[in-house]
Amino acid sequence: MIQASKGLLYPWEKELCGLTRFCLTATNCGGKSGCLPLAGCGEGYNPEVMTKPLEIRVHGRGGQGGVTCAKLLASFFARVGKSVQTFGDYAGERSGAPVRAFTRVSDQAITNRNKVYEPDEILVLDPTLLSKEVLNGLGEGGRLLLNVPEPRWEELEQRFLRFQLGLVDATGIARRHRIGTRSLVIVNTTIAGAYAKMAGLPFDLVEATYQALGFMSNLEAAREAYNGVQVWEPREWPKEREGLSPGEGRALEKVEKRIESLPAHRLSPPTPLKTGSWKTQQPVYTENLAPCNAWCPAGNDVVGFIQAAGKGDVEEAARILARTTPFPGVCGRVCPAPCMEGCNRRELDGAVQIRGLERWVADQGFDVVPEKAVPPKVLDFGVVGSGPAGLSAAYQLALRGHRVRLYEGEKELGGVLRTGIPSYRLPREVLDREVGKILELGVETETGRFLRFEELEMLARNHEALILATGLQSLRKLEVDGAELEGIEQGIGFLHRVNLGECPELSGHVVVLGGGNTAMDCARSALRCGAERVTVVYRRTRLEMPAIREEIREAEEEGVQLLLQRQPIGFEGNRRIERVLLAEVEMGEPDESGRRRPVVTERVEPLACDHVLLALGQSRDLEVLPESWKVHEQRVSVHGEVLPIFLAGDYATGEGTVTHAIGHGRRAADLAMKELGEEVEVFERPDRARAVPATDIRFDHFDRAAPTRMPVLDPGERVRSFEEVNGGFSRSLEAHRCFSCGHCTRCDTCLVYCPEGIIRRQELGYEVDYSYCKGCGICVEECPREAMEMTQ
Amino acid sequence: MSVELLSANHAAATAAILAGEANREAGGFGGGVYPITPQTECIELLCAHDFTKGEVVRVESEHSAMAVCMGFSLGGARTFTASASNGLAYMCENVFSAALYRLPVVMMAANRTLGPPWNIWVDHGDSLMLRDSGWIQFFCEDNQEVLDTTLLAFRLAEDPRILLPVLVNQDAFVLSHTMMQTDIPSQEQVDRFLPPLHLPHQIGDSPVTIGGLDFPHETEVHRKQHAEAMDRVFEVYEEVRREFEEVFGRKPEGPVVPYQLEDADIVFVSMGTTGSTVRTLVDRAREKGIKAGGLRIRIFRPFPGEAIRSALGGAKKIAVLDRNISLGLGGVTWSELKDWAPEGSLVQDYMIGLGGGDIRPEHLESLLEDLQKLEHEMHPKIVEVG
Ligand SMILES: Cc1cc2nc3c(=O)[nH]c(=O)nc-3n(C[C@H](O)[C@H](O)[C@H](O)COP(=O)(O)OP(=O)(O)OC[C@H]3O[C@@H](n4cnc5c(N)ncnc54)[C@H](O)[C@@H]3O)c2cc1C
Ligand code: SF4
Ligand code: SF4
Repeated sequence: MIQASKGLLYPWEKELCGLTRFCLTATNCGGKSGCLPLAGCGEGYNPEVMTKPLEIRVHGRGGQGGVTCAKLLASFFARVGKSVQTFGDYAGERSGAPVRAFTRVSDQAITNRNKVYEPDEILVLDPTLLSKEVLNGLGEGGRLLLNVPEPRWEELEQRFLRFQLGLVDATGIARRHRIGTRSLVIVNTTIAGAYAKMAGLPFDLVEATYQALGFMSNLEAAREAYNGVQVWEPREWPKEREGLSPGEGRALEKVEKRIESLPAHRLSPPTPLKTGSWKTQQPVYTENLAPCNAWCPAGNDVVGFIQAAGKGDVEEAARILARTTPFPGVCGRVCPAPCMEGCNRRELDGAVQIRGLERWVADQGFDVVPEKAVPPKVLDFGVVGSGPAGLSAAYQLALRGHRVRLYEGEKELGGVLRTGIPSYRLPREVLDREVGKILELGVETETGRFLRFEELEMLARNHEALILATGLQSLRKLEVDGAELEGIEQGIGFLHRVNLGECPELSGHVVVLGGGNTAMDCARSALRCGAERVTVVYRRTRLEMPAIREEIREAEEEGVQLLLQRQPIGFEGNRRIERVLLAEVEMGEPDESGRRRPVVTERVEPLACDHVLLALGQSRDLEVLPESWKVHEQRVSVHGEVLPIFLAGDYATGEGTVTHAIGHGRRAADLAMKELGEEVEVFERPDRARAVPATDIRFDHFDRAAPTRMPVLDPGERVRSFEEVNGGFSRSLEAHRCFSCGHCTRCDTCLVYCPEGIIRRQELGYEVDYSYCKGCGICVEECPREAMEMTQ
Repeated sequence: MSVELLSANHAAATAAILAGEANREAGGFGGGVYPITPQTECIELLCAHDFTKGEVVRVESEHSAMAVCMGFSLGGARTFTASASNGLAYMCENVFSAALYRLPVVMMAANRTLGPPWNIWVDHGDSLMLRDSGWIQFFCEDNQEVLDTTLLAFRLAEDPRILLPVLVNQDAFVLSHTMMQTDIPSQEQVDRFLPPLHLPHQIGDSPVTIGGLDFPHETEVHRKQHAEAMDRVFEVYEEVRREFEEVFGRKPEGPVVPYQLEDADIVFVSMGTTGSTVRTLVDRAREKGIKAGGLRIRIFRPFPGEAIRSALGGAKKIAVLDRNISLGLGGVTWSELKDWAPEGSLVQDYMIGLGGGDIRPEHLESLLEDLQKLEHEMHPKIVEVG
């Protein structure tokens, strides 16, 4: 029976069932429940009777969880019926400061409320704290558990011969198990596992404790530490202590008496404290990949240009874009903008309207084409095809100071930009302006002849390297009954005619077959050419339509009707088309591309119409190449010998967007220059997985603001002409919505939050006074945009 | 009933929650709270509780916190808040008001040194600043005592013979942030111990003015009533202690807690957690044959002079350990206790642990040596332990 020293008798002091001194349930369960959760009282783990209280001291740094660590140890012992006390040694400093925490364990009620000066056991959570002071009061034979990386174990093992020594790489283990925050690994739950092993506690006890305290997600790290801790028994044990247990040995130690006699008052002047000595890691400013940059296939520095525009430096914004693309005005209008799909702001209140901003910058009309470089050696390139890929390649080559000759089958340059995309989406002035800039660099052109076979062979001989960017010239046909009827035509051909100005008169009901951009452009152009009614027929559902979302919406606004899940199986009419026969389609299992496979049913209905436009897809035409040319990995070889001929854009990849073509054209140019011996860094699309994730953006630092909308023409008015539908932004306000992911904006958050007040503004960026930086990581944690990180 | 590993901050909050729930059939619970180290954990737990009736209102300052408490209390809610240090200083005006309105508000103070310069550690000066505010004040020594005292504080405060607010003090960090196994009573037990609150001057639906103008002759009466209520505290407290024991099976300590006093020549007087250190000192001194004893003052207001006088018996030398300083005078406890010391005894003031230094038995041993040598009282001494 325990005598409480002050009259109060606590319930756990009663010997209720005779099996344990401290019953935690007070239910007199006879050992069947509760107080010994492992295997019942008296069975399983049997806590030793303690001759004197056990005192533990934990040394860590603010933020590492030392106080919780001490609490965990206390909880272990509380579970086996011991009386415990645990507390931290709180100080004014925050994260990073040396912190101590204490745990007492006893079979008696604990009344001592002093800090622990003569511990039986010490845990050190941070190797940089290992100093004589930390070991103060630990007697010979005492238990010492250190968190240190393995390479240092050998040295330390030799240093602490008089203690029972445990070494564990808790930081490594906790990091592997991702315990902690972005800036700080938290090791308490891990090292507690190692402690349990050293103290001879069963792992079940750790598990039961973590379960009770809600730490189960850290259990595996604790298990790894439990199994991985290396323990050495004391190896130097003075003769006079033989036969004594380590704890008793400690009691013989003489503690230095710190107490001075009165009234010798001390006057302790404040000592300057260089908190920099506390740190184990320090903050640095970094540049991390913004998702928009990672997602833009053209490789544009999106965050760079938006930030410049936001600061009002539009010319700089235009200059940044001009480094990677000659077509900001084009992409700013027709790009499907994968950058916006990646934009982190989507997770808050909608993506930054990057495409609109790109257009706005281009439309300000700054003349920012970079200076032509003077190459070590002027090389001579031929480029076939003047779509965005060919023009982008020509642009990059010309900027490098090389000779470029561009061959185009059409009379005018631009590829699909001119022959496919209608002017209500891409006004010709915009295209002409941007193409004009490329030509100003001295690119020579030869237009009006489609080159094939030996003509191509000749080009290969006449130029040092050749880039083939001829796009997708083969059109998919529909081989069904009645396909030859009058009034059925390829959409591409129709658009070609429309775009080159011979506006074909249409009337009645036009049916467009297909679901991509070509289909949408055909449908909307048909309306503008006089069709009374336009229906787009597509095999799958709306979700699977490859056309740009906004295009579908705008088409519907203009009155285009969608007829989904219908497959054309024949045309009927008397010489001229009168009806298209449509079979209903059901969606089946997904195919290799992940899209659900259309299953054509027997249910067929006719749809009366006056005109049919086929927009069923295109593919590249390898037939035009000389017979001996073999294409392999976007290169041409003859009889096994790889020639300096590079495929670019849709002809190489079939990726099917302008921005992809621009990026790929640039890459082909880089590869060609490199092949000819010029030193260039070949453009690679960044790895999207490396981009700053939205979870690393501190949304709470940003005010909510909905995306800016563009003015658009009224649908009724639109269909009457080929005038541009979208009005574009009138100001660059949208740029202020950009988080500037991974790029410092000098927002001062780090400076404001640094508890030491030692971050200072510099002309560019900031300077951290490392002699006072205590390594707490708060600046990194608070940085709204992940433009900082902690380094060891 | 269950035993949990709790900090004294959480012990106080747990008691307040149980007490608040016990009033669910009447006016429920009410509290205005504002955080301050080292009390924050207490109100965090309180805020996390979803009261059956009533609520915790988070306000922008301590002054408002007490104002909200007064409103709740007048409306019949069982009312609790917590503060510390400069927070209490800022709350001060309304601390007086709560007492002068005769409202049974219970407040926990995690005693912390007043700044500047800023210091977060224990010192009793913050609550002692309020000694004249008309509140009852308890100083606790351990976690269980904090929980138990908070519970009984409501009972004492709400007794129709008393109707005064109660301040339950705990040492910053040494108690507030230290976790120990603590027995948490069941709601059913607390319901039995704390009947629903019926405040005689509770406001209802019709408008009334409370605390309007008091003329001198009225003020005299009000002060007299207030003083008489204070005078009844020890008597009522005895009843409350007994009932507490009946319900919870343990008896809270009295207004003063003696240790080995029967034959003591030398007595160390303390408040709060220093009491346990004094016991260690007494044990060590007695091993050496010195007749030492300890006296812990648990209720500071009303001041238990009679109890102190009888406990001190025939002590010859008395050391008063003051964890506070009334600048220009000395320790507050010493200055109040002097008059109740046995005639002819020597009462020496040691202001020790100011600003929160860890007072160890070794420090007290050197004070004992000092005291043994003393022939007459010295000016109050500041003892450095930090
Ligand atoms: C109607 C339509 C709408 C589209 N809308 C969009 C859109 O809104 N957004 C988007 O990002 N993408 C859109 N696309 C896709 C995009 O236009 C293409 O992916 C892109 O133009 C491919 O560029 P390229 O340079 O590889 O090929 P192309 O633009 O096809 O250019 C190839 C050029 O090579 C020329 N050529 C071909 N063969 C020869 C030869 N033997 N000799 C000489 N010259 C030759 C062609 O005349 C053509 O000018 C659309 C495509 C179509 C058809
Ligand atoms: S080209 Fe397209 S993907 Fe790249 S920045 Fe412009 S809109 Fe975005
Ligand atoms: S918020 Fe700005 S930097 Fe971040 S992804 Fe969007 S556009 Fe790019």
